[in-house]
Amino acid sequence: MIPASLLLSLAFLLLSWLLPGALSAFVGFAALAFTAFARLPQGLRGLNLVLLTLGFTLGLKLSGNTLGLIGLVGILVALTTLRLPLGLRLLLGAAILLLSVPLAGFANTFVFELGIQIGIYAAMALGLNVVVGMAGLLDLGYAAFFAVGAYTWAIFGSEQARNFLKGSFPLPGEYMYLFMGIAIVTTAITGLVIGLPALRLRGDYLAIVTLGLGEVVRILANNLDHPINLTNGPQGITPVQRPPIDWFRHLMAALGVRLDQTTDYQLFFYLLVLLMIGLVILVNVNLANSRFGRAWVAIREDEIAAQSMGIPLLPTKLLAFMTGAAFSGVMGVIFAAQRTFVSPESFTLLASINILAMVILGGMGSIPGAILGAAALSILNLDILKTFSEFVRTSLPQIPNQVDPAKYERLVLGIILVLMMIYRPEGLIPEKRHRAEMEEA
Amino acid sequence: MKALEVQNATKRFGGLVAVNNVSLEVNQGEIFSVIGPNGAGKTTFFNLLTGIYTPDEGRILLFGKDVTGFSPDRVAKEGVGRTFQNIRLFGAMTVLENLLVGMHIHIHVPYFHALFRTSLAQRAEKRAKEEAERLLFYVGLLHRKDELARNLPYGEQRKLEIARALALRPRLLLLDEPAAGMNPRETEDLQAFIQRLREELGITVILIEHDMRLVMRISDRIAVLEYGAKIAEGPPEEVRRNPRVIEAYLGKGAAGGAA
Repeated sequence: MIPASLLLSLAFLLLSWLLPGALSAFVGFAALAFTAFARLPQGLRGLNLVLLTLGFTLGLKLSGNTLGLIGLVGILVALTTLRLPLGLRLLLGAAILLLSVPLAGFANTFVFELGIQIGIYAAMALGLNVVVGMAGLLDLGYAAFFAVGAYTWAIFGSEQARNFLKGSFPLPGEYMYLFMGIAIVTTAITGLVIGLPALRLRGDYLAIVTLGLGEVVRILANNLDHPINLTNGPQGITPVQRPPIDWFRHLMAALGVRLDQTTDYQLFFYLLVLLMIGLVILVNVNLANSRFGRAWVAIREDEIAAQSMGIPLLPTKLLAFMTGAAFSGVMGVIFAAQRTFVSPESFTLLASINILAMVILGGMGSIPGAILGAAALSILNLDILKTFSEFVRTSLPQIPNQVDPAKYERLVLGIILVLMMIYRPEGLIPEKRHRAEMEEA
Repeated sequence: MKALEVQNATKRFGGLVAVNNVSLEVNQGEIFSVIGPNGAGKTTFFNLLTGIYTPDEGRILLFGKDVTGFSPDRVAKEGVGRTFQNIRLFGAMTVLENLLVGMHIHIHVPYFHALFRTSLAQRAEKRAKEEAERLLFYVGLLHRKDELARNLPYGEQRKLEIARALALRPRLLLLDEPAAGMNPRETEDLQAFIQRLREELGITVILIEHDMRLVMRISDRIAVLEYGAKIAEGPPEEVRRNPRVIEAYLGKGAAGGAA
């Protein structure tokens, strides 16, 4: 007798082969929910997840319907939260990130676009996680650092620098790697400049001041086109150089992967972002288990007790602030190069709030939580709401333009956050500390 | 050299003089108690010593060094550990992590080593963990090391707070009402424990305490505060018989009645 969950997974696999698309994806979600929430033996659960991965990958490859990507994210979450053998977790996780997503990307390049966006925001959410989750410093101007990082490369990686410097600009694309390092320095300095006055304040006051200073950075970017044209103002800077990737094309060709003009850079940036996330996670974990991470948590819990242990408040908070800023800065450089276009519009208050919402949605202080939060909100904003409004527009053309669902992005986000605060205030994947507290209670 | 010298310290909050021109000296290796009725300014006095407040007038010297106006973290680095009247543990951290925070200034790992968890960082972390475990064994909390601090029973939380202060390797330990909420049996254990700290680790201890039996048994000398001013100082026997002290505690006329 075949267990019901296995039957469901097999049915889904068959369905995504014969009838790939939205319908089969929903069957997949049901099978995934069944696998994750029903009481199943470990082996069966693992087998189910493998089948589901195959199913979603097949569906994505054949139909290019991005709902399958949500399924893959769901499987990744299951891998991080469910009790499964470590080998299976690593293997399946790597297969999804390195095989399923690229395969889907070749069928529908929008999958790459989504993957890169998720990755950039996930890395930033992890950076903000240091500031908000560990050190408890509510920063509402985090996008400012993203802006500084992006402009650091955009100015020198385009003809923009000619306006105020002699020399041959744009710098060649290889310099992007160097500028990822330089952006760490420029954003850390920005963090110092913003943090030095702001971090003397606490709680709500800190939030308001960071919000204001974050806006100052955006407004500077908007207005520094005169007297010297540094940022090219609201028009933004374009084209920004990308690194040459001939070596990458050769490498992929050697591996038997045929790339065309659009997918080569997409795949390259996707893998680069994955690599950066790996690095950021590593650094995050290392810091959390060091004297610095403990000092941050101590300050969050009780400033006076922390100080009485010899932890200096302002320098320790500044360090958290600068660390978070640096993460954001590096991703800014990649963002600028991947888009080849930078303008102040990408760094509004809403961008800051979006990143903060990712951290809160995922669970403050939690690393898988921050990544899931980034994935969930990016997919919601870039994919689900857009697809839904497309659907409304085509199938119900008499509905006025004003009720276009894509225009209610923030409303939907707000509703989700309110529901979260009511039903799961500790976040989707709470930090171990918080989870332990919940279990005790 | 004295462990602590306070010279004419005064602290005002608006019109209220919380600590009024207090001077006292504590010898090294002494167990010194500060007592007084509720609201006498004892905790404010502790907060002056540890840098949470800066005195409006007067000076504070620790082991001969002027620390007036130092921030709390700099005072801690001078070798002053403290506990709080209302326990201030890091509740969401484990018992072991609480101690590791206490050892913060003794774990010498530069930022970039921590970032990449170099072998230097790993070794320092391992050493720190071993020392923290030794300390937990010393205070009898080793079996609790992976529990969250907030889940410990009250008495163990008090103990852990002292252990965390000890992790700082203090020369001077300030205990703010360590026996509060303890039964007589636990108070006796506490007394033995404080005496052990002095004998085995050579730490000078200053405590604020309301349990007079404990104070009289443990203290080498006692200072009495009333309305922020020091009204008496001396060995327990002397302080116990001081008419001003009896008056402060029992009211006017009580001294005459007792005599």
